[in-house]
Amino acid sequence: MIWTTWRQFRGQALVGVIGLALITAYFLCLGFDIRESYDNYRAQCASLAECGPQLSQFSADYENALLYLAALVGLIPGLVGMFWGAPLVARELEAGTQRLVWSQSVTRRHWLAVKLALVGLASMAVAGAASLLLTWAASPVDQVADNRFSTILFGARNIAPIAYAAFAFVLGTLIGLLVRRTVPAMALTILAFVVFQFLVPNVIRPHFLPAEHLTMPMTVQAMNQARSLGSITGAPVVKGLSVPDAWVTDVSELLTKTGEPLDEGIFNECFTNAPETGTAEGPYGDTAVCLAKHDVHVEIAYQPTSRYWSFQWLESAFYLVLAGLLAGFGFWRLQRRPS
Amino acid sequence: MPQENSYPALQSEGLTKQYGKRLALADCNLNVPRGRVVGLVGPNGAGKSTLLNLACGLITPTAGTLRVLGSPPAANAAHLAKVGFVAQDTPVYGTFTVADHLRMGAKLNPSWDQALADRRIAQVGLNLKQKAGRLSGGQRAQLALTIAAAKRPELLIFDEPAAALDPLARDGFMQNLMEFVAELGASAILSSHLLSDVQRVCDYLIVLCASRVQVAGEVKDLLAQHHRLVAPRGELDRLPAEVEVIRMQHTDQYCRAVVRVAGALPRTPWSVEPVSLEEMVLSYMTRAAGVSAGLTDAMAGKAVR
Repeated sequence: MIWTTWRQFRGQALVGVIGLALITAYFLCLGFDIRESYDNYRAQCASLAECGPQLSQFSADYENALLYLAALVGLIPGLVGMFWGAPLVARELEAGTQRLVWSQSVTRRHWLAVKLALVGLASMAVAGAASLLLTWAASPVDQVADNRFSTILFGARNIAPIAYAAFAFVLGTLIGLLVRRTVPAMALTILAFVVFQFLVPNVIRPHFLPAEHLTMPMTVQAMNQARSLGSITGAPVVKGLSVPDAWVTDVSELLTKTGEPLDEGIFNECFTNAPETGTAEGPYGDTAVCLAKHDVHVEIAYQPTSRYWSFQWLESAFYLVLAGLLAGFGFWRLQRRPS
Repeated sequence: MPQENSYPALQSEGLTKQYGKRLALADCNLNVPRGRVVGLVGPNGAGKSTLLNLACGLITPTAGTLRVLGSPPAANAAHLAKVGFVAQDTPVYGTFTVADHLRMGAKLNPSWDQALADRRIAQVGLNLKQKAGRLSGGQRAQLALTIAAAKRPELLIFDEPAAALDPLARDGFMQNLMEFVAELGASAILSSHLLSDVQRVCDYLIVLCASRVQVAGEVKDLLAQHHRLVAPRGELDRLPAEVEVIRMQHTDQYCRAVVRVAGALPRTPWSVEPVSLEEMVLSYMTRAAGVSAGLTDAMAGKAVR
């Protein structure tokens, strides 16, 4: 069965190896380039303590490129699920060749187990290699920027992508088993995976461990650190606040001293019609001054950066358990309703 | 062990398969001994593929039981090794070469007979390096047959093996098939919508029409039990209870009936003629078609009213 699986998989494997070779070459070049650039910036200052401006320039140089590469590495599990997982069973059912292979002296359970194990391990290896290479290449920037807990970077570093690949691959296989047609199964797989990759970081990941809480008084200075103020619904919200050494998972509305949300009327009045002070600075100027006068604060939920590795393991375990459940369902389904 | 030897090739009780509301096979009771070459005959859509796919464990029954060589179909790897199956339209892997297929057969079947496979592939003139996707229908069927036979099964099952082949390829294929069956000492079941495909090789016959088994038995018994009666019009209206009328045809002056009698035919004043296998099968098919057509008419009439 191992030989048969390999014989069926070798064409796709070749494409995977070529893709991985290109990525490896690029990431190696990038990694050396980043290190050289780091040394150059570092040479401009006498000690690390004085090097703040140079290093943040260094980090800014690579920030965007690394974000795109993180998205690319985050996509690899989806591609693996689409091109390796979805056709695994669907192609057999579509061509009717399951009637040939299931008539050999190999049970369907054994057949699926070998296919899942072999191609699944290959999927995890490809995603893992890409992720570890990017982690290495980006490590000088990550150290300076200290944002590897952020949504996109978290899923494109270290071990999490390996679990994503296992999940996406099993998901693709199962969809193929149920849909029984290769192309629709491929489309559904990538769609389902993208939905998952959107939902998990935003809805599930913040709750892997109980969040820490803090109350942040919204002074003029604090307000001007925010990325945005207000929303189209007119609610008194601030977005993009940061806490040192933490991943902010939730920020409340602007609250008054009594803990009630700030009245929308007052908020909008400050927003559109703030009294001019003439001295206000920062992106929100007079609005910030006006709001700060109402003695507002926000409640922030966050996960300390020290939990980064706990989260990597928890997220990996979460996806691996999901993959296991899907595989179990696949075996059950294959036994009950073979074709 | 005597018990080990006594199991039939195929045994079913109340076997039923439904796809949604469509009945593909209804209440099928069979007991086919081993060592036979079984012809499974019936029109397209009669349920032949359903029965054979059930026998190979490719699908599971809705109701009833089925035992193949004494075990549930595809019970385990050892049981799978005892049953060789060539599915309808003889599926093979298009990207595998002929040699790859043989290698796959060798890897997946502990009882694989490489010498047999090599000899047969050479005999039918297949190129080992050719991709199976480029083979003609006849060549593909020969390849599928070789894979099924080289695992040396006790029972070989063929689903419409000759349907897609031209007459010459069909002849070569059937020839080859019978040689395999003889060489392996295996039982075989082959289905066809044409009696002529299987008539020349089978010694046991199952007629399947409208999802039901119409008749099943040893060919020589069936021939002995069926007769054609010819009598003046109206005289065949009252026949003894043990005489089952399969098909009645009227002309202006005579009526002809194909009948089945389990024992000896009672003494009759009418002319009794032997029935060919073909006429017998046709009579059962006509009866089944008549029954289902009649039912449809009745239902249509009801609906109009």
